[in-house]
Amino acid sequence: MRANDAVVGVLLIVIAAAMVAYTATFPAFPGQRYGPALFPRLLGAGIILCGAALVVRGLAARRMGEAWIAAGDWTREPGKPLTFALVLACLVGYILVSESLGFIVTAAAILAVLFWRFQVRPLLVLPLAVASSLVVHWFFASLMRVPLPRGILDSIL
Amino acid sequence: MDALSAAFVLVADPYVLWVVLASSLFGMFVGAMPGLTATMATALLVPVTFFMPPVPALAAIVSATTMAIFAGDIPAAMLRMPGTPASAAYTDESYAMARKGQLDLNLGTNLVFSVVGGLFGVAVLIVAAPLLAEIALNFSSYEYFWLAALGLSCAVLIATLDPLKGFVSLLLGLAIGTIGIDPAAGFPRFTFGTVELMQGISFIPAMIGLFAISEILRSSVAMEGGFEAVEGKVGSIFKGIGAVARRYWFNVLRGSVIGTVIGALPGAGADIAAWISYAVSKRFSKEPEKFGTGHLEGIVDATSANNSALGGAWIPALVFGIPGDSITAIVIGVLYMKNMNPGPMVFIQNPQFIYAVFLIFILANLLMLPLGWAAIKSAKVILRTPRNVLVPLILIFCVVGSYAMTNSIYGVVVMLAMGIAGWLLEENGFPVAPIILGLVLGEMFEQNFMTSMIKSDGSFLAFFERPIAGVLGGLTVAVWGLFAYKAVRGLSGLRAATA
Repeated sequence: MRANDAVVGVLLIVIAAAMVAYTATFPAFPGQRYGPALFPRLLGAGIILCGAALVVRGLAARRMGEAWIAAGDWTREPGKPLTFALVLACLVGYILVSESLGFIVTAAAILAVLFWRFQVRPLLVLPLAVASSLVVHWFFASLMRVPLPRGILDSIL
Repeated sequence: MDALSAAFVLVADPYVLWVVLASSLFGMFVGAMPGLTATMATALLVPVTFFMPPVPALAAIVSATTMAIFAGDIPAAMLRMPGTPASAAYTDESYAMARKGQLDLNLGTNLVFSVVGGLFGVAVLIVAAPLLAEIALNFSSYEYFWLAALGLSCAVLIATLDPLKGFVSLLLGLAIGTIGIDPAAGFPRFTFGTVELMQGISFIPAMIGLFAISEILRSSVAMEGGFEAVEGKVGSIFKGIGAVARRYWFNVLRGSVIGTVIGALPGAGADIAAWISYAVSKRFSKEPEKFGTGHLEGIVDATSANNSALGGAWIPALVFGIPGDSITAIVIGVLYMKNMNPGPMVFIQNPQFIYAVFLIFILANLLMLPLGWAAIKSAKVILRTPRNVLVPLILIFCVVGSYAMTNSIYGVVVMLAMGIAGWLLEENGFPVAPIILGLVLGEMFEQNFMTSMIKSDGSFLAFFERPIAGVLGGLTVAVWGLFAYKAVRGLSGLRAATA
């Protein structure tokens, strides 16, 4: 997804302005002229300047006929947007359910979905997904002592 | 020389040697797979090294990156796809050589002169770092402020195609770095009341997101299964290397020098080193018309340069805590985690660790000869690894790695947010490396800035009063002037084009 520089510039200015505005809530310390707000404000000013330059540049490109926002070529290929969304959904899904389901189950499910979507041979999808998540769990949880969530397999592990 | 013998003992530990071998194999594989970069190899290694003592942790990173930068040359010649961006400069040239039936000569040259260039970079690192550290002992907050400012500015100006967008990335990185407890007054900024944000945006998950998740998102919509179509058989790769060395010894030297210098410049790493030394080689060649037709000369320059840049990048990282490239940016994060804060004091307090890094660098480069030979011989098998299995597995590694850094789901959230941000930014032509530099250097930069401001009571003149600070400050202002000049000229050029 490629946006015109002016769009990006305006977005940057808005974000930076919000950041600078928020620094007004930072405390000032008596007897000290430079508090925690100074550095973020300088950065914000810098981003606003760059944003303005991007707006100028983007408007010039717009006059040359550039679209405000253009989707990448792959979005028009069948199935590709779904694949992209699926990868993101897997990550969001991990964040939401891994604590309750546990690492092994969640990881195996994600791997199975992605293997299937990327057209790994159907017979291999489940064995590969289960085996890999067990190996990763063994390596990180047993060898590296990372407290990966056990979830519903808690009683077995 | 007690420290040196202590370093030998540290490195000769069988555990360390095992780590070197394992990470070398890992680095070879990652480097040889198009789409997986040396920076990504480092990002994926860090969660594993987190649980190791300092020496094996650094050994893992040094060996993996050394191998990865060379291994990127293999698919460049065989598939016309650079394994890492550091090989992109001469990918077409290498492929043209392979098509002329000179695949063996090309791979042999790449291997041998990668080793030579790598050793050259290490030699400079060994000589220069302790000398610079002695000078750096006298630095005050003014010098560090300018050094960081100069480093960051150079990184943006040299290392990015579009300095304006590079500058935005850098500022965004610095801004993200201000999240958490502020270094001067101890006030929690931009935390919105969450405890997790108090310690700041977790650095390693952020980096895994920026470098690995964004790459996974890109490759998920460009999935083509395994790589095929390797032409020709690999024969004896070392045949004719002696003649190449006799003919192009000066190119090796020149490439290594350029590579080391560019590596040492903050922010510019192996990929830029390869592009510049290839261009220099063509510019001063006696037969520039042969470049692009499968001519060995430029490859000799560039393949020496990208490996020597690795050693060069460690110079500012160890001495000043300012990363020379995105790999050493990660290294600095690792050093802080191991309580070995980079800077001149490390050379006095823990010289054995520094010497151990030097020794491992030499060891890794020597090990590259046999391992590289093996990688070339088995390249066809490696390149047949199905990508549709590999990409989901890397995704899971990223998740577990990020989780391991914070021991909570917070790390995965940071990784995902930064991954999406990194993908969007790169789609729009904003480089992600400056974000990492800003994130790593932010706290040190702000701390030195605030200390200087408070010491001088707000007078900017004091920033230039000490001699070294004055020179560094002058240089920085000159770089900014150049940046502003280029930006204004670019804008007026655009206006002229649309008028």
